[in-house]
Amino acid sequence: MAGPSEHAPKRSLAELFNLRGATGPLIGLILLCVFLTFATDSFFQLRNFLNILDQITVLGIMAVGMTFVILIGGIDLSVGSVLALSMMVLGYVNIEAGMPMPVAIFAALVASAVNGLIAGVLITRFNVPSFIATLAMMSIARGLANMITNGSQLIGFPLWFNLSAIIRYGGYITVTVAIMLAVFALAYLYQRYRYGGRTLYAIGGNPEVARLAGINVKRNTMLAYTFCSLMAGLAGIMLAARLDAVQPSSGIAYELDAIAAVVIGGTSLSGGTGGIGGTIVGVLIIGVLRNGLNLLQVSPFLQQVVIGLVIVLAVAAETFRKRR
Amino acid sequence: MKTTLKLLVASAAMTAVSGAAMAEVEKIGLAVPNLQADFFNQIKLGVENYGAEKGIEVIVVDAKNDTATQVSQVQDLMTQGIDAFIYIPAGAAAAAVPTRLARAEGIPVINVDRTPEGAPGDTFIAGESVESAYAVCDHIIRLQGGEGKIAIIHGQKGTTPEVDRFTGCKRAIDEHDGVELVAQQWSQQWSPDEGFSIAQNMMQANPDITMIFGQADGLAMGAARAIEGAGLSDQVVIGGYDGDVAALEYLAECQGPFWVTATQSTQLMGRLAVDSALAVAAGESVPERQIPDAVLTTCANAKRFVANHP
Repeated sequence: MAGPSEHAPKRSLAELFNLRGATGPLIGLILLCVFLTFATDSFFQLRNFLNILDQITVLGIMAVGMTFVILIGGIDLSVGSVLALSMMVLGYVNIEAGMPMPVAIFAALVASAVNGLIAGVLITRFNVPSFIATLAMMSIARGLANMITNGSQLIGFPLWFNLSAIIRYGGYITVTVAIMLAVFALAYLYQRYRYGGRTLYAIGGNPEVARLAGINVKRNTMLAYTFCSLMAGLAGIMLAARLDAVQPSSGIAYELDAIAAVVIGGTSLSGGTGGIGGTIVGVLIIGVLRNGLNLLQVSPFLQQVVIGLVIVLAVAAETFRKRR
Repeated sequence: MKTTLKLLVASAAMTAVSGAAMAEVEKIGLAVPNLQADFFNQIKLGVENYGAEKGIEVIVVDAKNDTATQVSQVQDLMTQGIDAFIYIPAGAAAAAVPTRLARAEGIPVINVDRTPEGAPGDTFIAGESVESAYAVCDHIIRLQGGEGKIAIIHGQKGTTPEVDRFTGCKRAIDEHDGVELVAQQWSQQWSPDEGFSIAQNMMQANPDITMIFGQADGLAMGAARAIEGAGLSDQVVIGGYDGDVAALEYLAECQGPFWVTATQSTQLMGRLAVDSALAVAAGESVPERQIPDAVLTTCANAKRFVANHP
């Protein structure tokens, strides 16, 4: 396991572009793109790449939060449900209660963050394993999301909200994609250059050693879960904008997609190695794969098999690399 | 070899003919919510078979009941340059976004089964759920002599068919003074396993239920297994909806306790959708609402539909 000293920040340009462990997935992504370019006419087009960016927004933002939790050796199963809770709070405050959109967005983010904070308290203060604590929160958040409207959907957001996911400014970028890219950049810089980011690796490597080294493990763990839920909530707002509607059954099994993206990106489920750079590549692999399989008109059932195989390949490659 | 060649020539000729007659619809995109449900699978078969007859390529995408997945898939359909879009919205929200995407491309949008609020397509093809649900519930009430306790297993809450089928069934219940609605539960996926456990719980809470209406055949089949398992087949009569292949086979055996369903003309819906797409593309006008009839199906006529789904 990697200790904190091994990853001491070095501020050089070469370091900034070093993907650390993500080179394998990156090669995979490039091969995938090359293959799809030759296999189908419609893949290698600017418009299709912009579509892919649209399509990975929700998964991308969720996977960033998930990366931090997995880095400290934890897991968060509640993100799909928190996403739904955030959407329903957003819809309720804006459409039912008639409050302005910024208030609704704030309320949705707070509701999500509180969910993660509770999970963090359960894990650090009551020693509940993260798998169980977040499994419980998954059920609670889903139930709450359903209770808000008694299971029905809500529509009727202001027009600009949906347009923020549709209009491409300068012909390239929607507001939601811009937000995703900003989240990627900030998370990447935080993880590499801030003390808090480095402590995640230390905790994931060995929590006891980290504690002895003077790191407040409990506080940082709680922060990681709160941040993960906050990202799930933000992803929910992006999804609401994309669909122009909210429904409590949204986001079922999204936690598994987020975990898959993180794992494909080379972050180890046992914590301590990997990072945001790899996760971004992992998210892109899933996005490109889904898009490409649609363009190739592969049957939906076979698509599931292919995505499973890619996960196996990614993890096997990682294990093989470690053994060397 | 000769026959293959003939077939090839024939199909090429057909393509040429239809291509000349219609405003060049060569590729149709079909977005379905969930191919695991026989109802949607039948529509898909209807579109594919009829498309093949007309020499039109059909691209099918399956959203697995996730609205966000469906929006992505529709984007990908547009990238592939489809000439017409047959849209069955996934999920209760029935997202308007795919319709807007297609509108932006200027291609015909044909809605089947569900239609998004505020963003209608060029035509909407769906069975008339209210009347047919009324007929199914009326039938099971009459089987029980016009009185007793009834329970309803709903589909996914808030979807158009869920709301309409309840409205129809409720009317039949209200028309009979001796009939009391004692239990209602909502399912998430319209699936047999949900029908099974919901029916089991209902019978636990109200052991004297004599009628159950499952809003889809999957739910009704699940309920039927629960009733059989509890040994109550003589007490309870079950009605379903949709006319799934499995349900029709079950009904054809005439064993009960699931006795009646409303068979939707799903293959016909697929054919209507293709015809409407061609008509809209050619600039002809199509009716805003098209209603292929659902047929009340009991063990008397189920066999016929097993052999040949409408």
